[in-house]
Amino acid sequence: MIEKKRRNLIGRFQKMPKWKKEEFSEIEYEPTPVKDLLTEMKDISELIIDLAYSAVLFDNEEIAEEVKYLEVRMDKLNYDIRIMAMMAARTKEDAEQLAGILQVAQAAEKISNTAGDIVLMLKDKNRPTLSRIFSKADEKIFRIKIFANSKACKQKIGYLKIESETGMRIIAIRRNDIWIFNPQSDAVLMVNDWLITRGTDEGYEDLDKFLKGKLKVLE
Amino acid sequence: MKKKTSEDIVLEIKDKSELMVDLAYSSLLYDNKIIAKEVYDLENLIDNLFGKIQRESLEDVQKGKLTVNAALTLMRLAQAGEEIADAAREIADVELRDVELHPILKMSVQESDEVLTKTQVDSRSILCGKTLGKLKLGSETGMMIIAMRHKNKWLYGPNKNTKIDPGDILFAKGPEDGERHLINLANAETDEI
Repeated sequence: MIEKKRRNLIGRFQKMPKWKKEEFSEIEYEPTPVKDLLTEMKDISELIIDLAYSAVLFDNEEIAEEVKYLEVRMDKLNYDIRIMAMMAARTKEDAEQLAGILQVAQAAEKISNTAGDIVLMLKDKNRPTLSRIFSKADEKIFRIKIFANSKACKQKIGYLKIESETGMRIIAIRRNDIWIFNPQSDAVLMVNDWLITRGTDEGYEDLDKFLKGKLKVLE
Repeated sequence: MKKKTSEDIVLEIKDKSELMVDLAYSSLLYDNKIIAKEVYDLENLIDNLFGKIQRESLEDVQKGKLTVNAALTLMRLAQAGEEIADAAREIADVELRDVELHPILKMSVQESDEVLTKTQVDSRSILCGKTLGKLKLGSETGMMIIAMRHKNKWLYGPNKNTKIDPGDILFAKGPEDGERHLINLANAETDEI
């Protein structure tokens, strides 16, 4: 009762999602090299599609939030790269070459917008059709849990060389309530983590055995 | 041959559009107009497939073979693939223009999380005479072959029945530490897959 009264006085608390924060953050001019901006844009464009498909396949709003965040981030990067490119142009030849960079950046941004559209399919609640189609793709998205007896526990992804030994790329890690998106080689795996990965059936079988502790080493 | 179902077509659009993005970035990295042209051709193919899927799913709904929801899902997935294919074509377009590529383009592609690599298969390599299905390079080295050049013939998005011959040039995508392994295999410096 008291709780309700308080809520009427102050209103409902709502944590602002990360993507919204990014959207409202003032665009400040930070000189970042064009190369760094473009590399980040390319990396996001590759990750975001996998994340978007994972969100709809696993019916997961939190992954969808990350997709929205990356989409907003991409808009900002695209804006920054335009400014940096314009400042770098001195001659007509410069401008022609830089136009090529901006076109690639624009394409990366377009891919991230597409990811935003894919996430909207969450509302359709039509997972059976989706799962069936995805189960036939060249590379699929899998969810795997790490068991206590696996040699992967407390090891770095880079040390385990998961991607080069199994071809499975880790898109995200879920640890209790926390998500680690696009984990890098320094990220440590823990018992009970859920991994969202992308790869082939054979790669999945090996990795699944390893993470269940049935296989001692990946090779 | 069995007629392709709507789901098969959607899948083809999805797989091909992702391949196109990899090919488009490869064309920039290796300043290769042949690969860039292939991206253009694939984009036309995807446009056709997209038109086909829209018509067929609507027909299936009319015949009562497909629910409205299922048809929507198919069309939305196809549309996503089509947009990705468009983006890939825009990237390839940069390569096809008569303007020298800005060095940053190459550097950015090289520095990203997933690397692209190119290697020629030596005649003593363990890879010779074997099919991709048997070699399982994807799950053993992490490197996925996106294109191959066999003498003057190009092959894009090879499948498990594709055989590797001596002298073939492989274009692959994967993690940085898988790149060396694939190159060593192709150069016959190691036999261990």
